[in-house]
Amino acid sequence: MALFAVLQTTFLLTLLPLRTYQSEVLSEPLPLTPESLKVSINSTKQCLHLQWTVHNLDYHQELKMVFQIQISRFKASNVIWMGNYSTTVKRNQVLHWSWESELPLECAIHFVRMRTMVDDARIPAPRFWSNWSSWEKADAQNSLGDHPLYVFPKDKLVEEGSDVTICYISRNHQDNISCYLEDELTYGKQLDQNVWAFKLKNVSFHRKTGTNFYCKGQGVPEGVVLFVSKVLEEPKDFSCETRDLKTVTCTWDPGSDTGLIQLPSYTLFESFSGKKTLCKHRNRCDWQVTQDSQEVYNFTLVAENYFRKRSVSILFNLIHGVHPLAPYNLFPKSVSATNATMSWKVSSIGHNSALLCQLQLLGEGKVIQQHNISVRVNGEYLLSELKPDTEYVARVHCAYADHFWKWSELISQNFTTAEAAPSEAPDVWRDVTFVSGHPTVTLFWKPLSKVHTNGKILFYNVVVENLDEPSSLEVLSVPAPANSTKVTLNRSSYQIYVTAHNSVGPSPASAVAISGHPENENVEEGRVNGTEDGFHMSWKPQSRNATGYVVEWCDDPQNLPCVLQWKNLGPTNTGTVISSDAFRPGVRYDFRIYEISAKGMAHLLEKKAGYLKELAPSYNPEVATINLTSHSFTLSWKDYSTESQTGFIQGYYVYLKSKTGEKCHREFEKTVLPDNSVGCKYTIDNPDQKTFVVKDLQPESVYEFFVTPYTSAGEGPLDDFTKVTTPDDYSHILTHIILPMIFCVLVVTITCYLKSQWLKDKCYPDIPDPYKSSVLSLIKFKENPHITIMNVNDCVPDAIEVVNKPEGSKIQFIGTRKSPTETKGTKPVYLDLLPTEKNYSGPGPCICFENFTYNQAASDLGYCGHFPVTPQAPHCQLGPLTSPENLLKTLEQNYMNSLGEIPAGEANLNYVSQLASPMSGDKESPPANPPEPALCSEYKMQMAIPLGLASPAPSKNSSLSSTALLDPSEHCH
Amino acid sequence: MKVLAAGVVPLLLVLHWKPGAGSPLPINPVNATCNTHHPCPSNLMSQIRSQLAQLNGTANALFILYYTAQGEPFPNNLDKLCGPNVTDFPPFQPNGTEKVRLVELYRIVAYLGTALGNITRDQKTLNPTAHSLHSKLNATADTLRGLLSNVLCRLCSKYHVAHVDVAYGPDTSGKDVFQKKKLGCQLLGKYKQVMAVLAQAF
Repeated sequence: MALFAVLQTTFLLTLLPLRTYQSEVLSEPLPLTPESLKVSINSTKQCLHLQWTVHNLDYHQELKMVFQIQISRFKASNVIWMGNYSTTVKRNQVLHWSWESELPLECAIHFVRMRTMVDDARIPAPRFWSNWSSWEKADAQNSLGDHPLYVFPKDKLVEEGSDVTICYISRNHQDNISCYLEDELTYGKQLDQNVWAFKLKNVSFHRKTGTNFYCKGQGVPEGVVLFVSKVLEEPKDFSCETRDLKTVTCTWDPGSDTGLIQLPSYTLFESFSGKKTLCKHRNRCDWQVTQDSQEVYNFTLVAENYFRKRSVSILFNLIHGVHPLAPYNLFPKSVSATNATMSWKVSSIGHNSALLCQLQLLGEGKVIQQHNISVRVNGEYLLSELKPDTEYVARVHCAYADHFWKWSELISQNFTTAEAAPSEAPDVWRDVTFVSGHPTVTLFWKPLSKVHTNGKILFYNVVVENLDEPSSLEVLSVPAPANSTKVTLNRSSYQIYVTAHNSVGPSPASAVAISGHPENENVEEGRVNGTEDGFHMSWKPQSRNATGYVVEWCDDPQNLPCVLQWKNLGPTNTGTVISSDAFRPGVRYDFRIYEISAKGMAHLLEKKAGYLKELAPSYNPEVATINLTSHSFTLSWKDYSTESQTGFIQGYYVYLKSKTGEKCHREFEKTVLPDNSVGCKYTIDNPDQKTFVVKDLQPESVYEFFVTPYTSAGEGPLDDFTKVTTPDDYSHILTHIILPMIFCVLVVTITCYLKSQWLKDKCYPDIPDPYKSSVLSLIKFKENPHITIMNVNDCVPDAIEVVNKPEGSKIQFIGTRKSPTETKGTKPVYLDLLPTEKNYSGPGPCICFENFTYNQAASDLGYCGHFPVTPQAPHCQLGPLTSPENLLKTLEQNYMNSLGEIPAGEANLNYVSQLASPMSGDKESPPANPPEPALCSEYKMQMAIPLGLASPAPSKNSSLSSTALLDPSEHCH
Repeated sequence: MKVLAAGVVPLLLVLHWKPGAGSPLPINPVNATCNTHHPCPSNLMSQIRSQLAQLNGTANALFILYYTAQGEPFPNNLDKLCGPNVTDFPPFQPNGTEKVRLVELYRIVAYLGTALGNITRDQKTLNPTAHSLHSKLNATADTLRGLLSNVLCRLCSKYHVAHVDVAYGPDTSGKDVFQKKKLGCQLLGKYKQVMAVLAQAF
C-alpha cells in the first residue's frame, strides 16, 4: 500500500511540470516578434544576409515558426519581394537567412522587415502574425567613393545560358551614358534617377579571360568583367584499376572545359573507409591502398565548381582490377638460324603474385607464333621453327594471373635469325649460240626467293664439266647480284652446274646439259592467242622419255638485249599458261618450247608467236613509186617488216584516188575514206606481197595513193596520200631528143668558152693581121688588082697633139663622153685629119680613118660624127668580127689598159690607141646610150682607101697623115 | 607608403639584397653608406642611355600588345582608359642637374618596376595564354632592374647618394578585373610617355 502511495505521489510530481508547461505555453498564444534584425551585404554573392533572434521563447522551448520577410528597394514602400521562411526556433537562437538579389546590391538601397507566426502543431489555432519589425536598411552605396560612374557587379561569375543583371550608378545626371557588352551596345532600364540596369539574357561564353561590359559617358569609361562558365559536365567513363595492388588509379573523361581560369575541383570519396582525396588532375586520381586488406571500394567522384556539383560512383574490387605494368628489358638471349630465346622482366605485384605473359612472334607484320608463360619476376621462352636470316619482332605483355582483367602495354624487340646455306638450287636456263661452230652458252638463273636464300647471296659458282673429258672441269665464280654468265665451249657434250653461295655455304646445284652441236631450228612457227590470263599454249610431246619441258620467251622483246624468261614444266605437262606482268598489248612475243631429255639435254620442240592483244598497225609502210608510165605505176614497200608490228599483218589496203573522180579501176572497190572523201580500195590479203602495180591509168593524170597494212584489230593510221602524175605518151620522145640536144649545146658552149682565146686569136685578134683578114678573101674574090695592104712598118704618126689643158682633166676628158661644144674650150690643138660634122654635107661615101692611133678628134668626139648613117643604113660591113658589141668590148678593154699605162700629168703627148673607144670612159658602167651604128667606126680594118674619098681637107694645123690612099671605088656605102 | 604588392617585394629583394638585408629599401636612412652590391662599370652613363633608348624603343609595342590583349573597350578608348593619368607618379625635370635627374630617374624606375611587376602578375592570371605579352613584360622588367642598378651605381659612385626616397605604384591586388586592366593600361601609357622624355633627357 505504501508502495502504491509512493508511486502515485511520484506520478503526480511528474505531471506537475507538464501541467505547468501547458499552462504557460499552450494555453495562451504569445507575441513572438523577431528582434535584433540585422541586414548585411555580401557583394560577391550579391546576397542580403539577415540575422535575428526571437527572445520571447521560454527556456528549453522549441517551436516551429514561420517568418515572413519583406524586401523593398530604393524606398521601404517599394516591396520587391516577400516570402516565408520556416524553421524551428529555440530560445535566444540567432537565425540567419540570405536572399540573393538579382540586381547588384550596390546599385540600390534595400529595406528588410519581417514578422513571425508560430506554426507548431502543438499550438492550437488560431494563429496570428506578429507585428512587423522595423525596416532595416542595407545600403552598399555608402562604401563607394566619389567617382562619377560605377558599374556593378564586379567580376561576376555566371554560368553559360543564365541571365545576369548589370547596373551602373552615375553621379552626373546630365551625362549621357551608353553601355556595351564587348563592342555591342546594350539597352537598359532606368531604376532610379541615377541608376540603370541591364538584363543580359542567356549569356554566352566569349573567352576564358572574361567578357568586358563597360559604360561610357563624358568621363573615363568604367566597366566590369563577366566570367562566363560553361556548364560543368558529369565525369564520363569513370573507372579504376591498380597496377601494383598498392595504388588505385581512377580515371574519367571530364568532358569539355568549363572555360574558366578557375578549374573545377575533383574529389574522390570512398564510402567504406570514409576517406577522401582531392584529385591533382582533372581526369585522373590516385588512391593509396592501405594495409587493412580492403578488397572492395565504393568510390564516388565529385566534380564541383562555383555553380554545380556532379558525382559518379563505382564499386571497385581490387583483385579484379589489376592492370599490370608493362614488362621491361625484353631482348633475344640467344639467336641461331632457326631458334631464339627471348628474355624479359616483370614488375612484381603483391606477394608472390604470378603474371600471365603472352609472347608473340611477328614476321612481316603478322603474328606467327603466340605463347603464354607464367612469370613471377623473370620471363624466358625459346622460340623455334624460325627461318634463317629473317627479321622478326618479339613482343610481350602480361596480365594478372589470378584474375585476368587487362593486358599490360606491349613491349617489343626486333631480332634477326642467323644465316644458313641456301636451301634450293637456282633455277637455271641457257641460251646456246654457235660462233664459228663453237657453242657459246649464256647461262641465266633466277634469284632465289627470300625463303630459300637463307642469307645474302654473295656469288654464284658455275662448274663446267666436259663429259667427253671427265677430268676437265672449269669453275667460274660470278658475284651476286648477276643473274647470267657466258661460257664458250668446244664441240663436246657438257654438264654445267650452278650453285648459289651465301656466307654459310652453297645451295644444291642446278645442272644444265649442253650437246655441243647446233640445235634443230627448223621448226615451224605457230601462233598462240593471248588472253587476259596470258598465253595458253600446248604442245605435242616428241619423246616418251622427256623429263620436263621449258618454255622460254623475252619479256620485253622490243628492247634488246633480251632478258630471257623461262618456265619449267613437268614431264606430264603438255600445255601451260604463260603470264607476266611485263606483257603488253601490241607486242609480239616469241615462245620456244623445249623438251628436256633424260640426259638433261634440251631440244627445241615448237616455236610460237603471239600477241597478248593485237592492235591496229601503228604506222604505215614507206611506199616507193617505180616504173611510172603513162598508164601504170608500181608501188613498193619492201622495207616494211611484218614481224615487228602491233599485230599479225594480214595484208594491205591500197587506196587510190584520182583527181577526175572517175570510176574505180578493176579489182578496186569504191570506199569512203575516214576523211569522208571517196576513193578506191584494193585489198592485198597476202602479208608477204609488198609490191602492187596500179594499171589502166590515164596519161597526164594525177593520182593519189596510200598503202596501209591491216591486222585483226584494224588497219593502220590514215596518212597523207601521195600524188603521182602519169606522163603523156610523147614525153619519152622529148626525153630522147631534147636532152641529147641540150647536152650537145652545152658541150659546144663549154668548148667555145674554153677555147675562147684561140677563137679570138683566130677570128678577131687584138691586132689584126691584114694578111689574114677575111677582107682579103673578099678582095681576092673581087679580084681587084689595085688593092694593096698598108705596111704597118711604114706608118708615120699622122698627128702630134700638144696638150695645153690642165693635167687633171686629161683622163676625164678621154673617159667622158661630151658634146663637141663642151669640149671646145679645152680642145687641144691638133691636126685634124678627119672631116667634121659641119663639113659633112649630105650623104656620101663612108670614110673611115682606119688607124685611130693618132686620131684625137675621133677620140674626143666619141662617135663618128662624120658618119651620117641612120640605123637603117648599112654601115661598115666589115664582117662578123666587126659587130659593134664585140668590137666595143675589146676596144674598151684595150683602151683602158692603155690609159692605165700612161702616168697622169706626164704625158703631154696624147697617145690614143687605135683601139680606143670614145664611149668607154668607165668600164664599170655601161654607156648610157647603146652604141649607135656610127660607133662601129671606132674600129676599122686598116686598109687602103682611095684618097679622093678622104675629106675634108686637112686643116692648116695638120702636118702629116698616115692615111693610106685607097682606091676611090672602095668605100662603104 | 602603400601596401606592397606581391610583385614588389621580390623586386626589391633582388635589387637591394645584401647580407642581413631582407626588408625593402629604407627611405631617408640616416648615415647611409654608399655600398653597391657589384662594382660599377666605367661607362655607366652610356649604359643608362642605352637602356633608356632600349626601353623607349619597345614601350609602344608593349603598350599596344597590352591593350589589345584586354579586349574591348580598351583598343578603341585609349585616350580615356589608357591615358597617362597616373596619380603619385614621380616627377621629372629634364632641365635639372645630372644628380637631380638621376635621383628622379631612380624614383621613376623604381615606381615603374613595381607597377610592371603588378601588371605582370595580373596578366598571368587574367590572360594566361598571352605568352607574348608576358614575355615582353618580363623583358621590360628585367631591363628596368638593370637600369635601376646602374642609376644607383652612378648616384653612389659619383654623387655618393646611397639611398633615395621612392614611391611605388598602386597595388592592384584588391581591385576588380576591369580596374586591373585599366590601371595596367594607364600605367603602360604613362610608361610609354615618360620613357620618351627620359630617353631625350639623358
